Amino acid sequence: MFIVGLVGALVVGWWGFPQLLYSQNSQPIRFSHKVHMESAGMECKQCHTYAASGQYVGLPATEACGECHADETGGTSDSDKEIDKLVKTYVQPNKPIPWLSYQFQPDNVFFAHTAHTGFECKTCHPDVANMDNPPVQYTDRLSTYSKQTMRMPGCERCHAELGVSNACYVCHK
Amino acid sequence: MGVDRRAVIGLIAGGAVGTMFTPVLWKTTSSIALWSQNWGWIPRIPKGERKYAYTTSKLCPSGGGLKVLTVDGLPVTAAGNPAHPLSMGGVSALGLSECYMLYSPARVKKPMLKAGTAFKEITWDEALSLFADKLKAAKGKVAAVSGDQSGTANEVVSALLAKLGCADKFFLMPSEAQAAGKAWQMMGGHGLVGYDLANADTVLALGADLFESSGATLLNARSYSAQRSTLEKPAAKLIYVGSQRTTTAYASRKWVPCLPGQEAAVALGLAALLIKGGAASDASDFADFKAFVTANYTPEKVEALTGIKAAALEKMAKKLAEAKKPLVVAGSEFGQGAGCSAYMAALAVNILLKRINVPGGVYAAPEFPKVLDGALSRPQMYAGDLVKYLTSVAGGKTPAPDLLITYDANPAFGLPQAPAMAKALESAGFKVAFASFMDETAAQADLVLPASLPMERYDDVVSPYGAPFAVYSLVRPLLKKPVHDTRAACDVLLAAAAKAGLALGADSFDKVLKAKVATIAKAGGFVAGKDISVSAVLAGKDAPAFTGDLWKPLMEGAAYVVASPVKQDGLSLGAKTLAAALKADAAKAEDGVIALTVAYKARSGSPAVGIPAQDLTAVRDNELEGHMTVAKLNAATAKMLKVEAGDKLKLTGPAGAITVGVALSESVMTGVLAVPMGFGHTAFDDFSKNKGQNVLAVMTATEEPATGASSWSGSKVKIAKI
Repeated sequence: MFIVGLVGALVVGWWGFPQLLYSQNSQPIRFSHKVHMESAGMECKQCHTYAASGQYVGLPATEACGECHADETGGTSDSDKEIDKLVKTYVQPNKPIPWLSYQFQPDNVFFAHTAHTGFECKTCHPDVANMDNPPVQYTDRLSTYSKQTMRMPGCERCHAELGVSNACYVCHK
Repeated sequence: MGVDRRAVIGLIAGGAVGTMFTPVLWKTTSSIALWSQNWGWIPRIPKGERKYAYTTSKLCPSGGGLKVLTVDGLPVTAAGNPAHPLSMGGVSALGLSECYMLYSPARVKKPMLKAGTAFKEITWDEALSLFADKLKAAKGKVAAVSGDQSGTANEVVSALLAKLGCADKFFLMPSEAQAAGKAWQMMGGHGLVGYDLANADTVLALGADLFESSGATLLNARSYSAQRSTLEKPAAKLIYVGSQRTTTAYASRKWVPCLPGQEAAVALGLAALLIKGGAASDASDFADFKAFVTANYTPEKVEALTGIKAAALEKMAKKLAEAKKPLVVAGSEFGQGAGCSAYMAALAVNILLKRINVPGGVYAAPEFPKVLDGALSRPQMYAGDLVKYLTSVAGGKTPAPDLLITYDANPAFGLPQAPAMAKALESAGFKVAFASFMDETAAQADLVLPASLPMERYDDVVSPYGAPFAVYSLVRPLLKKPVHDTRAACDVLLAAAAKAGLALGADSFDKVLKAKVATIAKAGGFVAGKDISVSAVLAGKDAPAFTGDLWKPLMEGAAYVVASPVKQDGLSLGAKTLAAALKADAAKAEDGVIALTVAYKARSGSPAVGIPAQDLTAVRDNELEGHMTVAKLNAATAKMLKVEAGDKLKLTGPAGAITVGVALSESVMTGVLAVPMGFGHTAFDDFSKNKGQNVLAVMTATEEPATGASSWSGSKVKIAKI
């Protein structure tokens, strides 16, 4: 019975527990980074810009999507239907799109992307640039953080390995 | 196979061991740790597109530029605009609150009409028609109170009053700007008074809390900071004379305790010593001035009046005489009520020191031209004295107006002898309040017109008091539409005036502002920025005159500056007025009566906005304990009055009484009780209402002889231990 308990706990712990802890969420629009990068020839910084302070400016406003997707396509393909959903639900009524963030630091963390431009985006983020479908977003039901939000030990480890200061004020202003 | 005790224990043991090799315990602990930090009562910055927008602070009297963080177009927080000459990156508690106030629960959301003792919502069309009818009916019997200290909005209000034949019934809420401006006029001065702290090497602040309430506070703070570098000797000395350790006193090299309301006596005592040391002036009344101060303001007499030891006064006079670029700035420790004589006496000292229109001295900034016919100029606006007018109305000497308009002002709370003033206001026939919040004045109005806040409207800031240069900045809407069904007050005034057949020549306020900008663009000024330091221009550096469309840079948050001072001719020392205005004899001490001073902190809000919610946590126990205001006095005063920390005192003035707690603090001079300001609201929201007592209620307003200005900074109160 010891073995049964051991195996049962391992199964529950490694398979059942994550199902219980994380909710699985889909983006409100099936946004294809790949299409925008490859077909439309866009660059990351057209939508994801930095403030003068180095802070990530955030996700683009609905107006930015509306610059190209002002009208419904009327098409019947899955992509056209998704574009029409975007236009009808968000662009035309000018409502903010409730994008789900994969990594959103809490307000008490000052994270400057400009100080980390030496790394590739995919070092820390999902490699969405090469994805046609946005990955599932997992939210910790208890903490409300997304599963992939980088925790403090992750920040500290990298800082320590690269000889960068780990003083409190570096990240907490 | 049966399940025996041994099997169950084995299962549990296996489960326990297995669990240790899964993330269950570690992950749950980590998630709980993060969950414990999710405090629902702390506002979160919303997700969305973050941008910075530039505008100018209207709630803060110092008029600094703001750099506002917006998320999806909604302002969420603000910092100072580094390129703006009045802020240089600094932001005040009031400026910062502009974002948060947008979403305050105390905002008036719809036009409201009083029905019995309650309000009912009405439409804007109904409100406009009613207001226009009242304007027509009350022609000749209208009064208006404006809380705007410097904007073109005052031109709209005063031009409307002129059309109604009541130009003399335009009143500003009392401020240092008004008292200093009046004093300057009475001395024959031209232009607007400003102080070039950035280039001065010795600054004497006579009751002027330069970093909290007096003049261009942000500019003053940045100038102070620029003169002090780590490990280097400060480039300037700052001496503070006042009854309590204000923010300025703490930053000063020396705090010289002085009884409240005696700033004029200190200035005249210094003048007497400077003249004795050889100072002179070309002013026509120099001989009279010399005779007056020499006879009445010897160090001994000044000591009796102010509490400043003769030796300390002589030391201050010596420092001023030895300085290359001395500057004397007078004021009231809470930004109002000092009368005109204190400013006049301090300006006279600056004249004796030859510090008018020179770098590091008093600068007379030019006034930008008006754009509306019939509008009052700034000096004309200063002529009306609201406290005097309401006192006269309360006493039945002046009839109450048929129509009273209040614009961004809360006189029912923010004037001395507040209960009496509120009663006088109540006697007006019909009261229209342009208000963003349901404050005390709005609560007693008959018609409340919800005014858009600065970040929802076009407005401007024109040369705030204390700036040593003429400066113009625009306030612009940062939201696509107001948060509630509010309108810009000036747009409503213009529309109602047109409806009443009193058209003022513009149908919207942004058109008035465009006309203003087009006019001032011809004044030969420049657009200040990182490359052009205004203090360097004041010190003699050239600045290229701006050419082109001025509206554009102003909309981007820039400021237009004219740094050429107004030439003075025939400036007097105010000898005759000062001699008539001041009592040279010290008042006799009375039992149970004590000098009252007011401790002012911008974070406690203003009468117009209440206590900004974000500053509630900064209110200390020695300012507000529960629902009671706490007064401070030092150990010697406590011994004299036989009170201890934690006692309660009843303070009684001519118009009312308040009860305060007692805290001991050596930050107040002996013989003075310091009561914090900004508390005791009976309106607004849960954050402001019924929190403490309004110290203004127990102050005593008196009319200063000769100048006619109302004064209450030297108030005394009767005290009784409860």
